[in-house]
Amino acid sequence: MGSRWTWRLLALPGVAWLTVFFLLAFYAVVAVAFGNQNTLSEPVPFWNPLDWNVGYMLATLENIWQGGPFLTVFVRTFVFVTLALSLSLLIGYPVAYFAARHAGRFRGLVLLLLILPFWINYLMRMLAWINLLSPDGLGTRALSSLGIERLFISADLLAAKGGWLEGQPFTVIMALTYGYLPYLILPLYASLDRIDQRQIEAARDLGASPASAFLRVTLPLSRPGILAGMVLIALPMFGDYYTPDLVSSSTKTSMIGNQIDQLTRQGSSKVVGASLTLLLAAVLLGLMFYYLRSTRRADDRAEA
Amino acid sequence: MQGEIRLEELTKRFGEVVAVDGIDLQMPGGEFFTMVGPSGCGKTTTLRMIAGFERPTSGRIVLDDVDVGQVPPHRRSVNTVFQSYALFPHLDVAGNVGFGLKYKRLTKEEQRRKVGEALSLVRLGDLAKRKPGQLSGGQQQRVALARALVLTPRVLLLDEPLGALDARLRKDLQVELKALQAELGITFVFVTHDQEEALTMSDRVAVMSGGRVEQAGTPREIYEEPATLFVADFLGVSNLIGARASADGETCVLRVGERTLLAAAGATDARGEVKAMIRPERIAVEPQGALGDNRVPGMVERAVYIGSAHELHVRLVGGDLLRATIRNDGSALAYEEGTPVTLYLPPDALRVLKP
Amino acid sequence: MKRLRNPWGRPRFLVLVTGAYILWSLIPVALAVLFAFNDGRSRTTWQGFSTRWFTGETGSVLHDPALQGALRHTLFLGVVCVLVATPIGVALALGLQRWRGPGGGTINTVMLLPLVTPEIVMGVALLLLFLQVLPGIGLGSSAQAIGQVTFTISYVVVIVRGRLVSIGRDYEEAAADLGAPPHDQLIRVLLPLLAPAIIASAAVVFAISLDDFVVTQYLSGDASTTTVSMLLYSSARAAPTPALNALATIALLITLATLGLAYLVYRRFASGSDANAMAGLEV
Repeated sequence: MGSRWTWRLLALPGVAWLTVFFLLAFYAVVAVAFGNQNTLSEPVPFWNPLDWNVGYMLATLENIWQGGPFLTVFVRTFVFVTLALSLSLLIGYPVAYFAARHAGRFRGLVLLLLILPFWINYLMRMLAWINLLSPDGLGTRALSSLGIERLFISADLLAAKGGWLEGQPFTVIMALTYGYLPYLILPLYASLDRIDQRQIEAARDLGASPASAFLRVTLPLSRPGILAGMVLIALPMFGDYYTPDLVSSSTKTSMIGNQIDQLTRQGSSKVVGASLTLLLAAVLLGLMFYYLRSTRRADDRAEA
Repeated sequence: MQGEIRLEELTKRFGEVVAVDGIDLQMPGGEFFTMVGPSGCGKTTTLRMIAGFERPTSGRIVLDDVDVGQVPPHRRSVNTVFQSYALFPHLDVAGNVGFGLKYKRLTKEEQRRKVGEALSLVRLGDLAKRKPGQLSGGQQQRVALARALVLTPRVLLLDEPLGALDARLRKDLQVELKALQAELGITFVFVTHDQEEALTMSDRVAVMSGGRVEQAGTPREIYEEPATLFVADFLGVSNLIGARASADGETCVLRVGERTLLAAAGATDARGEVKAMIRPERIAVEPQGALGDNRVPGMVERAVYIGSAHELHVRLVGGDLLRATIRNDGSALAYEEGTPVTLYLPPDALRVLKP
Repeated sequence: MKRLRNPWGRPRFLVLVTGAYILWSLIPVALAVLFAFNDGRSRTTWQGFSTRWFTGETGSVLHDPALQGALRHTLFLGVVCVLVATPIGVALALGLQRWRGPGGGTINTVMLLPLVTPEIVMGVALLLLFLQVLPGIGLGSSAQAIGQVTFTISYVVVIVRGRLVSIGRDYEEAAADLGAPPHDQLIRVLLPLLAPAIIASAAVVFAISLDDFVVTQYLSGDASTTTVSMLLYSSARAAPTPALNALATIALLITLATLGLAYLVYRRFASGSDANAMAGLEV
């Protein structure tokens, strides 16, 4: 309908915009990472691949390879994210399962309440926890009177009374879980909702117990949704710097995002920061493309 | 006569798939022309090419002696009634019907008048302000018709317009459409997969299969004188019998097992292995033992009551199963299941088909 | 039809977990909103109800220039983002959906990338872009706006495309059949049919812009380019007054109001009409 160029013309502004402000921006990271640094510690990007200086990148890799501070941060990030993901799945799956299969006439209301956090400013949600967990906060007082504070101190999960916000890994992991869990629940819900009730009924009909039907039918069928959801929140979680910054202002809990932030935005060395960013992107690249492919397949299935 | 369409060696390929394979068709102006065939036979693709939504891979589409193959759809004086009606949901009925009038350089008054005329033509005058979502299927179909007809096209294309309606409504609308076409005198090109619809409504029919035209002709021609096995089978019960043909002077003699039958219709000059067909309503059912030419004995396996007729499934000695129709005249059926009978196959109804 | 028992035991367990989660999820925020109305400087001890932090004489959102400035700048960025990202996104969605020939897949992938790129990567990339490649624009409001548009375009495309797919090509073909040239097919038929999706995506862009943090912070210039998110971040661990809570509450209300409004408009225009028109296909 119309020549092919009519439609292509419509796409032009968007393509041009993304080329300049996305692709070119990304290339700027590459050019800076493989560039140099002048006497003012400002980066001197090398645009021509033939001129690339791998010095800073190699130094960064060496830091990691030889167990320097970058490695520590990477490992810590990995541990935090894994724990937060596990917690999120543990809490999120039953909630999504309930919403998809047992909410009945309250489904609309439940979904609304589950979607609500999406539209509340992330920082406001963290601010809320800072209020609660500050030394005289309602949360701190509650945890103290319930004896949980004492428990955590003896389990070495809390350093001092009322010090929830002072460099505590536990707080960071909990905050990450709190922050990203809503983004996991929706894909889980969608995939659980898609499962045909009749397949479960067939399993039951053939003699499976409720637990067995769940383990052998529902769980496997929801696996693509689980994976997709986990990838969806793992990506931003890996790059998060503001959550540790807000709920624990100590370098003891800094994640790779904090490191990059310090080097680039706070300016100590943009070149090293760019190298680190590239490394992070490379690590996450696999995850990113996996997610893209699975959504594309879902789109094709929906279109068919 | 205006509105004549000629398709010349028209072909459409989608990648590896050949949807329309070099067909030649002539659709005379002012006639009700139907393309009928099973799904995938190419009838809809052909229609879309006439409308302009698909460009032919090769071949010509000639409308009143002008090759319109490369003309975009908005510039052809051909209009379409879509299978899904495609009524614009955001416009009311009058808005829908008047949509194309904006391109005809008429004053607002004239446009309004024409819309009114079109709506009364399809008898929807008082629904002008309704939205498509508030109409029934049959009403939506009429709006789609009015929308197309208000532009006085030379040819109206209809893509299975009755498919979404229930049986009763379909029959009524079949009659209405036919009457409308006769009244307006413009060419209707109708696409359907329903052979009965094709036979009842059309002046001429093209039976299609696998991208090719199997046969084109009047309903009577294609039903009673099918040229190929496919056409014979598609349009009704064909009662195919395998036989060996030979000549006896001018007549064609068929050997079916031990019996000899005379065939006077179809490819009577064919020799060797052939198929013969006869329509169920042409078979005369006679009591067992009746004598005469072209008579074969058989056993009634099933007697199906169709309401207006009885359909007898008769198993012949040689193994062939023939279906014969006996009109229901109110009296009890003389030949029940299990009864031996004789079937008379009149020679001029017995048609030889080349294999 | 036998009653199937759910595999977790009794549904009670699930109800409990879900209920507990929803409470855990929303109560902290509810409390933060509550304390925005606290009559006193504490954010942790209730001292009575008051709206002083919203409209009071001193230190309220209405009278504190820093707070007000942040709110105004946030709204400004939001509006600019919607006005720029929505048309570009709609056009891109149309162009992509009808793309014929090679290149479409690549563009599609590039379009989707911002949706899965971690924010810090985007932040660093845009920061370096405006420092090294486009120093003429540099950091500040323009950079912030451009940065926000860059990743919100993808949301518009995804939402509008979904609607395009369900609309299908029938209506355009019908319009063409009736004499409409391609640009009229777009303007008279396709865009009206897309209106609900366009409105929905505009609302989504606005909400995302309002709540954006990383990119906005990375591309900020002087103090006049502070947004609500940035202010929340910088003040949270200091000893702020409930005015901060008030500011956050106002931003939250604006977001929810926008989404609610868009939802209503969407419902009104996308209601029965197209669904029933397609009912021509169902008996």
